[in-house]
Amino acid sequence: MRKSKALSAFVFLAIGLCLLGLSNYIDELRAYQGAQIGIYVIAISSIILLTGYSGQISLGHGALMAIGGYAAVLSYTYWHLPMLLAFTVGALAAALAGFILGMAAARLSGPYLAGTTLALAVGLPSLANQFHILGGEQGLSFDIGEAPKWISNKTGGDFTQYKWFFWISVLCTLSTLWFIKNLLQSRYGRTWRAVRGNPSAAALSGVNIGKSKVLAFTVSSALAGLGGALLAMLLGLVAPMAFTLTLSFTIVTGAVLAGVSNLAGSIIGAVVLVVIPEVTGALASHLGNSEKITANLPGFITSVLLILTVMFLPNGPQLHKRKKAKTK
Amino acid sequence: MLILDTLFIGLSSGAIYSLMALALVLVWRSTRVVNFAQAGQAILSTYLGYEVMSKTHNYWVSIPFAIIGGALIAAFIDAALMRPLEKRSRQGAVSQIAPVIATLGILGLIRSLTGMIWGNAYVQYTSPLSGKGYMIGHHTIPFSPQNLIIVIGALIVMVIFALIFKFTNLGLALRASSFQPEISRLAGIRVDRIRTIGWAFAGAAGAVAGALVTPTTYLSPNSLDLLLVSGFVAAVIGGLDSLIGAVLGGLLLGVGFAFILQYVGTSVTFSAAFIILMVVLFIRPRGILGSRVGRGDA
Amino acid sequence: MLVHRSTKRGAFAVAIAAVAALAVSALPAQAFSPRSETGVTSSTIKLGITVPLTGAAAPGYNKVPFGMKAYFDYVNDNGGVNGRKIQLVIKDDQYSPILAKSVTNDLILKDKVFALVGTLGTANNEATTKFVNDKGVPRLFVNTGFSGFANTKKYPTTYPLFPSYFMEAKAIGGYLADKFAGKKVALIYQDDDFGIDALAGFTQAGTTFVAKIPYASGSQADPTVVGKWITGIVASGADTAVVFGVSTATAAALGGAYKAGLAGKIQWILGSVGADPTTIKTLVPAALPLLNGAIAASFLPAAGDTNDEYVKQFQEINAKYNKGVTFDTNVLVGMNAGMLTVQALRAAGSNLTRAKLMAALSTSGSKFASAGFAPLGWSKTSHVGYNGYWFGRLAADGSQTPVDGAGKYVLYTTDSSTGAVVKSAITRPAMPAKGLPTN
Repeated sequence: MRKSKALSAFVFLAIGLCLLGLSNYIDELRAYQGAQIGIYVIAISSIILLTGYSGQISLGHGALMAIGGYAAVLSYTYWHLPMLLAFTVGALAAALAGFILGMAAARLSGPYLAGTTLALAVGLPSLANQFHILGGEQGLSFDIGEAPKWISNKTGGDFTQYKWFFWISVLCTLSTLWFIKNLLQSRYGRTWRAVRGNPSAAALSGVNIGKSKVLAFTVSSALAGLGGALLAMLLGLVAPMAFTLTLSFTIVTGAVLAGVSNLAGSIIGAVVLVVIPEVTGALASHLGNSEKITANLPGFITSVLLILTVMFLPNGPQLHKRKKAKTK
Repeated sequence: MLILDTLFIGLSSGAIYSLMALALVLVWRSTRVVNFAQAGQAILSTYLGYEVMSKTHNYWVSIPFAIIGGALIAAFIDAALMRPLEKRSRQGAVSQIAPVIATLGILGLIRSLTGMIWGNAYVQYTSPLSGKGYMIGHHTIPFSPQNLIIVIGALIVMVIFALIFKFTNLGLALRASSFQPEISRLAGIRVDRIRTIGWAFAGAAGAVAGALVTPTTYLSPNSLDLLLVSGFVAAVIGGLDSLIGAVLGGLLLGVGFAFILQYVGTSVTFSAAFIILMVVLFIRPRGILGSRVGRGDA
Repeated sequence: MLVHRSTKRGAFAVAIAAVAALAVSALPAQAFSPRSETGVTSSTIKLGITVPLTGAAAPGYNKVPFGMKAYFDYVNDNGGVNGRKIQLVIKDDQYSPILAKSVTNDLILKDKVFALVGTLGTANNEATTKFVNDKGVPRLFVNTGFSGFANTKKYPTTYPLFPSYFMEAKAIGGYLADKFAGKKVALIYQDDDFGIDALAGFTQAGTTFVAKIPYASGSQADPTVVGKWITGIVASGADTAVVFGVSTATAAALGGAYKAGLAGKIQWILGSVGADPTTIKTLVPAALPLLNGAIAASFLPAAGDTNDEYVKQFQEINAKYNKGVTFDTNVLVGMNAGMLTVQALRAAGSNLTRAKLMAALSTSGSKFASAGFAPLGWSKTSHVGYNGYWFGRLAADGSQTPVDGAGKYVLYTTDSSTGAVVKSAITRPAMPAKGLPTN
């Protein structure tokens, strides 16, 4: 056990260093998109944990991301916390919200939980207009500044802010993935899978189902909160318009594309979410011959791809073959 | 008087929520899928009605076309997309969530389709009925002839569904195949076909909602977006297994919403649905009339 | 164990492959074309705009960029700007800051535009501000009235065009004090920066309301919410009501009032954002009787006023270069911004640079010809564009006539801080021949 844990830590570290090194060779645009991918990986993994492992549905993780984002920005601006600490505050705030929501949700099943989270996703962001400190519709700005000199001097060249975003995103994403991976392999993860597979049997063998569900919700929310804080960093602001219902749907979609119980797939899901708009946008400008068509073609292509993917790869890209053996 | 006014406002919007909730419950009962594409189907069938309306200048003629269009679209979606999907993803967490994502994909598809055909603009689906409220004495209540048609239309749909479900063989088959599909198959019921018919009914209900409520506002590819959420919340409040619950949920949401807005203030507009939902689910976690005996739905 | 290792490898491989793929595709196709300034070649000038083309906020606004493009095409057909043709890259942001930032990155880094024109939405513009500032990209005529954008220190390359919501509210307040003193006025406003900016303006102008009715953006689609507005107005005993909201909210208010039998009982005064009669007509035709006689604030001529030389010319351009699109305020806004952009580009000279473009606006921008009746305020110290409004009565056919009589445009101008509201008859710069600037 210990050997493989050390090995996996080493692999993550190696990947991290490779990515950071790669950042010297990619342009600003790709650095930004890379950072975006990292954020989506974290958000998608929060759904994989909640839905894929613990079997609970949330259509409102956008709201949890909002909580994380706002908490991070507020603590950065008013308490003058350093950036990483502010992100942690964001994750904790979302975790707290997730804990409360999880407690309320423990009694709810499937679509009832979905409905509740959906209503939350719609209702929460508008709260920003109620409390002046939350900045209202135009939001609160959030500038984490440039990379510190001791880093930018080492790598030479132009260390743009987008490159700095990429570095931070890589750091947070890999740490998060490593953390989740270990969590899912721990007894908590086993408990979640047991409850998801057969709740009665799990209960009979002494598992406290409610506690397990709430834990999953809390951790998942913390992840979403971190994702929201990073999103705020990337956008340079938090505003209600950035955390719409569409965001909640997007990350669940990404999770399904990933293969909803497949952590490694979160990377593919995130890449797809970021790359697809580019591809469809380019396609649309070539294929579209009228304004109406060109404007709506990207959405059309994306939807068709989504439907086809869900139809033919409902379990995601099947990165490990063991999935097939699980079929009843 | 204010109470009466608020009640009327809530009644009219509640009727629309009920129709959407009915559509969602119909599909849920037969397929265990929350059909988010419902809002998309409704908007597409409303656009069809709009087209007929523009050509014939007759609102009443356009409604049946919208209904038939809605039914056909829904049937097509089930037969071509949802049935094959269900066959492929029977196990695991995916079986719950993949169909939901598929319906989201269909919603996006329909939205972009309506944008491509009719453009992203506001158009008017006009009804010959007046938008001016009825008068009681000197007071005008916020309830116009169009609102009356909305409530009547919703009632007609509910009564028709109730009659079909209770007194016809088709209704019996619908209920049986949603409750116990395997046994129903053994009893000779063509479960897949019955399912599609269920979807068609749902599509028709959504079309009625769209055709009746749109003349009070405007038509655009996104104009029924809010209905997506309110319809779903209403269905959950009522208990997803119960058609009567859908109606009750819609009315409760509509009236509750109106009263909350009137007496608490419009600042809670978007949170009101969440509040109502949490209150109901706290008391009854499966909705007001939701069944206790689940079918293993997680 | 075997499974886990292959998972790791799989993830590792995918991550590297994905990033590498993106990186390779980033190699610019034209790495060595000689350019003196980004977005400018000897024959072209590339401009960029982000607006919602699809999504709930799209209707109406999605016409603005195509109106602008039509005007640019017209100018290109007539010699362009100092021999260069203008290309307008239009991107859809679906009114989301996440998308707005992505597509703006594309515009600046991939399409390499010379300047941004008419980018829409307060939060969307806010999200891209740091990047736009850092790259020194001129951002002209942002399509929002948020007063913050006038701050030249925070937004050095941003040049608003529209008066801010704050200024508009002050102007309306001045108009109310002038013509509606002693009346009971109610206010319906959107409860975000849009409406709160306005509240501050009304406060500054000293306007008092018998009822202030906020609504959450998007909630105007729900008839329950609208019903609440109307009961609020009736309860307050108001005989005049100001709507400071978007067009769907204005239409909803008029429709709701009609439903409640208030036709003829309330004088409606509409803020400019939601007052395009063509749009309102489409949204709630039942409310037409209420539209008739409503007073609307505007700084541009009515889109249906064919006696206005600018409108007439723009309509002709629209018919030829924007076929199939009905001319309305949105198209007018786009073409007007286009005309101003062309004059700014011309004033910057043949040796076109970003710095020169902004200098041109600061030095000679205030003298540019445009359809707006209010004077333009760009200077070395101010980035504020139009600074005033005229008030017109709407008729059921969508026409808008100044309240004092046809052709009698009386402007209520003010500044973006504590200055008073000043009433003046205006003279607008004459339109250059055929709408083609010669500055």
